[in-house]
Amino acid sequence: MEKKIVLTGIARSKGKAAGEALVNRQRIGWAFNHVGNEDGMVMAPGADTKGKIVTGKIFVYPTTAGSTSGAFSLYYKCKVSNHGPAGLICQEVHYIDINGAIAGEIPAVDKLDQDPITTIKDGDWVEIDAPEVGEKATVTITRKG
Amino acid sequence: MKAKMKLTTYQQEMLDGKHGEAKQFCMDKLLDFGKAVEATEMVDLVLTLNCCPIYVKDRMEPERLKKLNEYDLGHSPLYDPIFAMKDAHVHDESGTECGNDPYMMQLDKAHEIKGPPNGKPWNFEIPGKGSFKLDKEMVAGFQAGYDKLMEHGWLPWLSCNPYLNTRIPKMGEYAASSESSAACYINTILGARTNREAAINTIYCAYTGCLPKYGSHLDENRAAKCIVELTDEVRDNIKGMADWGALGACIAEKAGNRIMAVLNLPKKMGPGATKNLISCASPGMNDPMLHLMGYTPESPTLEAAFKGNMPKNPERFVVTMEDVIEMYRHLNALSPAPGPEKAKPVDIVIFGCPHATWDEVREVARLVKGKKVKEGVKLWVQTDTPTYYMAQHYGDTKTIEDAGGHIFHQTCIAMSPIRHYPKNTVIATDSFKYVKLGGGFGPKWIYGNPEALVNAAVTGVFTPTARWEYWSKPRKERLESEKERPLYQGDRPMVD
Repeated sequence: MEKKIVLTGIARSKGKAAGEALVNRQRIGWAFNHVGNEDGMVMAPGADTKGKIVTGKIFVYPTTAGSTSGAFSLYYKCKVSNHGPAGLICQEVHYIDINGAIAGEIPAVDKLDQDPITTIKDGDWVEIDAPEVGEKATVTITRKG
Repeated sequence: MKAKMKLTTYQQEMLDGKHGEAKQFCMDKLLDFGKAVEATEMVDLVLTLNCCPIYVKDRMEPERLKKLNEYDLGHSPLYDPIFAMKDAHVHDESGTECGNDPYMMQLDKAHEIKGPPNGKPWNFEIPGKGSFKLDKEMVAGFQAGYDKLMEHGWLPWLSCNPYLNTRIPKMGEYAASSESSAACYINTILGARTNREAAINTIYCAYTGCLPKYGSHLDENRAAKCIVELTDEVRDNIKGMADWGALGACIAEKAGNRIMAVLNLPKKMGPGATKNLISCASPGMNDPMLHLMGYTPESPTLEAAFKGNMPKNPERFVVTMEDVIEMYRHLNALSPAPGPEKAKPVDIVIFGCPHATWDEVREVARLVKGKKVKEGVKLWVQTDTPTYYMAQHYGDTKTIEDAGGHIFHQTCIAMSPIRHYPKNTVIATDSFKYVKLGGGFGPKWIYGNPEALVNAAVTGVFTPTARWEYWSKPRKERLESEKERPLYQGDRPMVD
């Protein structure tokens, strides 16, 4: 049985995206030393997703941690090396990640009506529809039963 | 977003293209960001601190792209459109001083990457593990990016500490620092205002001299939300640069990503100590500000630190020596170095993240004086340009070099592809930031105080000091042992 959950939140970077969810319960940033620019691999010590590849995924995490270079490293993975995530869902999208997501042209959403960290599970199919910055965004979660 | 950005006449003119293509391009980008953070006006900047790009032709050429994916932090392509504009210039009308963080190597030694391994961060060998050499093309690209910035009116510093000697923002002024440790110092110690600025914005800030007002620019985001109090034992026994870093980390951890008012700090905090305490910001906190009660300009009283909103019973946390010791254990367990607990072999001993202050350089010189760094082991000290020449002038450099160590300016090893250092390289440092942020890179990290670090460089193995032996004992045992050898004689701690 397929189960669908629809959440609404606020768009911090606009766009439409769909992909498999990768949930990281710890704060984590996008700097090259946390998620490799050359392969999209999570390297941050102690992260749930350590060793996994973020490329094409909807990455779910509380908020950023670490270097401000997360902004351009996120952009670089999305637009130059093509190892970036497809979209971001946070409890709060930090300014640093907003900056990177806008430049990387991927949607970033926060302030959802349920906590994304507990609601979304690894492997869920997640669609983000975030038409305008600062406006309502929809997150549709599809879980195979 | 509902709110519309209010612009000054000059800012509006930049947006309208009256001051050239580059300023218009950057204003456009800043306005996009301003909308996302709901800003209603811009701040006028006195300083931007950024990261120098690697400037190459055709960065998407497959072989070059492969190298860039390893070397570029991700910032360089963002400069390409600006570099293609003929009228790009910083500082001119804005008066904003613009400069950059350290990067992969010391530019005046760039010729050394051509030679055999010389034991420096850009070209070295670790016996039995392999070698590392910066790529010539990437270094040339870094030089080209730097040259381009100089043409545009950037200042030549490559350091994380320009706030100490190059452009010192004053209370109430605004800066845009994508160097987190600098951001925290500027907010906390100087009382000027900066975010840990998202590092794409800082590029656009440089060319316009302005930035949407948001985050730490605003009073409400500079207010303490809780109290962190140090025990008297902590206050009296913090010594050594790694202690200061670990203490900063404990404070940040207790406050759980909130701004805190810190009570009962040690009476004297030298420049290195202050810098190391403050540099907890990047790995530990998102809002780069601490209220160091009794020290910092925005913290004369708790009421002031809470910006008039102090609850009746603010949340209160205590940092004990056990917490500090636990932080050492945590840091040493992130990417643990192999070997016996009391004799872990080391390959590289590095000081100076953030860049070493003069008192830190002098301490390394004092500790290594008359000794010899073990063959095959590297002892590296990174500092800013003024301190580099000061150390040369006053003899510290000679002492360090006579012992077989090296001192650099303009460099940060974490800004080179450290991920490609020889496998299982063991790096020992007193930098919380390196261990916490570099933990994922591949090398194994040891966190310790300068005394133990210099000893490790000389003997080739990291051995905890007697002081660590004492403090790392369970409290009860520690107090028992004091009966035989008192910790205090008069008011001076006896454990060093």
